[in-house]
Amino acid sequence: MPSVRPISPTEHRDHLATLPSASFLQTPGWARVKSEWRSESLGWFDDAGQQVGVALVLYRKLPKLNRYLAYLPEGPVIDWSSDDLGSWLDPMVRHLRTQGAFAVRIGPPVVTRRWTTAQVKDGIADPAVRLLGQIPPAERTPAGARVVAQLHELGWRHQGVEGGFAAGQPQFVFQIPLRAADGTPRSEDDVLKGMNQLWRRNIKKAAKEGVEVTRGGRDDLAAFHELYVHTAQRDHFTPRPLRYFETMYDALSADAPERFTLWLARHDGDLVASTIAIRVGEHAWYSYGASSTEKREVRGSNAIQWAMIRDAIAAGAAVYDLRGITETLDADDPHVGLIQFKVGTGGEAVEYAGEWDLPVNRALYKAFQLYLQRRG
Amino acid sequence: MSLTLTVDGPRWRAHLEQVAAANPGLVPVAKGNGYGFTLGRLARRTQWLAERGHDVRALAVGTYDELPEVAQRWAGDLLVLTPWRPWVPLPDAATSRRLVHTVSRLCDLRELLHADPAARVVLERMTSMRRHGMAARELWEAGDLLRKHPGARVEGLALHLPLGQGTHLGEVTRLVNDFVAAEIPTRGVPQVWVSHLTDAELTTLRTQYGDFAIRPRIGTGLWLGDRGALRVTATVLDVHPVERGDAFGYRGRTAPKSGHVLVVSGGTAHGIGLEAPTGEQSIKARAATLARGGLDAVGFVRSPYAIDGKQRLFAEPPHMQASMLFVPHGARVPEVGEDVDVRVRYTATAFDRVVVTD
Repeated sequence: MPSVRPISPTEHRDHLATLPSASFLQTPGWARVKSEWRSESLGWFDDAGQQVGVALVLYRKLPKLNRYLAYLPEGPVIDWSSDDLGSWLDPMVRHLRTQGAFAVRIGPPVVTRRWTTAQVKDGIADPAVRLLGQIPPAERTPAGARVVAQLHELGWRHQGVEGGFAAGQPQFVFQIPLRAADGTPRSEDDVLKGMNQLWRRNIKKAAKEGVEVTRGGRDDLAAFHELYVHTAQRDHFTPRPLRYFETMYDALSADAPERFTLWLARHDGDLVASTIAIRVGEHAWYSYGASSTEKREVRGSNAIQWAMIRDAIAAGAAVYDLRGITETLDADDPHVGLIQFKVGTGGEAVEYAGEWDLPVNRALYKAFQLYLQRRG
Repeated sequence: MSLTLTVDGPRWRAHLEQVAAANPGLVPVAKGNGYGFTLGRLARRTQWLAERGHDVRALAVGTYDELPEVAQRWAGDLLVLTPWRPWVPLPDAATSRRLVHTVSRLCDLRELLHADPAARVVLERMTSMRRHGMAARELWEAGDLLRKHPGARVEGLALHLPLGQGTHLGEVTRLVNDFVAAEIPTRGVPQVWVSHLTDAELTTLRTQYGDFAIRPRIGTGLWLGDRGALRVTATVLDVHPVERGDAFGYRGRTAPKSGHVLVVSGGTAHGIGLEAPTGEQSIKARAATLARGGLDAVGFVRSPYAIDGKQRLFAEPPHMQASMLFVPHGARVPEVGEDVDVRVRYTATAFDRVVVTD
């Protein structure tokens, strides 16, 4: 059975560097982005003392009590293919209990189901289909099913997608695979051919209009942020402060220079779109995006996405991840537009195992859930 | 002269067709006393449903011993619900090609595949009922074993869920997930053979598991679902007037007041007067059971026979093939040869005759 102990951010970073990839939410840099929570790097060690796993724990304090929800977003980074997950998770839970955790929340980075672009499109077109889960998936993964089965067995509780603590991480995401089934990298041409006609036309149009996509430095974050606040007003969401992105830039770049990339799309000197891309090893994410309301016809958003996808291909990434989609396929749902935009890239809808809780102190856990329900 | 089940043929058949139409992939269950109809009749009726174009491809029986009753009358697949055990002899080659075994233990799967490498099986997963079935990890091992036996034919997953009380969908989702985790090699679309789900639950299951075929196993709801199509009657065999204090019967009981003693067909051989537990758990139901036992000690017990809509008392405990009833003075006395209604549990009654009207 592996043992678990706290490790330094350097040990944490070094272990991640030996892996093909991990969620950016499990990097030491992410702890500094989420500085409002106490954090801890944990390492798993086998009998020979070799490090075999790593996790970033965020301790979220209960109001008025010295107790914490130990949250491991999209983690821990362990061998999820193990048939004995208990031997990995149990020592972790024992450690977290000594740190004052009343409950543990994890997000196994394991795929459970996949749907093709065509399936998602048919689902949106079919009025009888309201949720992704109502379409038979192209694949149910046995590896994901084994993780789910074991978590049930070990007493973990699946957290519903709706509601829950601070909304949690999305269980459904949209991804463009950048490798073929046999593992060979896909070419730019191949990925472009997978996109729908509208996307291809818009990418071409942006080039014809002379949209220029460039990488920015830390100083350009202010320009990104201005456009992002504008986007937030238009699309009715609460923007984060500029400081948040500066911290993210500093923290993630300190881990590895390629981790954080700011992208800017300009037309005649006007900033029409700007995005933040994150890459950890073989996994590239589209993380934040902003676009102008003026000059939509020059298709800055498509141009900037295409630049990020090309960059991911050039870097040898296996996946381009457009992050969360809601499970809804209801054509009347306001979220469906976002799915349709992502579906146009020709990727696949992917379901992860979702977030799971283990109550350590049942009474406090119950009280905590009631508190969340009341908070709405 | 007999205890008769009369079936309103057109109404009953219409009900069967309606259930079959609403449940594609239906697996009719014919077990025990054939729900009162006999196994042979249910097998022929299943054949009729298939010939009428309904999606009925398998008939389920309870035990291996019931197979001969149905095998000649139904041409499709046969499922045995009781899990196979190593002492069960395998049937002849012709039957075994149609036979789907329920396997609920890894060791049985190993032995069955040894005895018949081309066996057709459904793997039973333990449910909250905790009767038969494999645990999740046993199912994983079954997957490993089956991948080494490419000749075996896995038809899918079998679930036996408890009755009623809330929805089973959460449980079914978990159990099907275990089947996915086990990477069981199936030919074609994997199937989930399941019983005791409501129509709404089945509909949800079909949407969520469009990549599986759902095979609802239905017995009671199919054969006995339309009680109005069924009537059970006994024949009045004899009528004797009695005065208060007259002795009668095997035990020389005396009549409590004047009236008539009736001898009607139907006795312990048919299951008359033998109480089968209903599984009702309410205080009222249990008190009623106690009261019935108590009546027996002090006087007459209520019988399942009804004359002119009124249930009559047993004059003494039922005999093997006939029963004696007491009809008090003042009530209409039926003629010898007249039919009277009987309320029975169909699954616990052996009828002398089953008459299906055209």
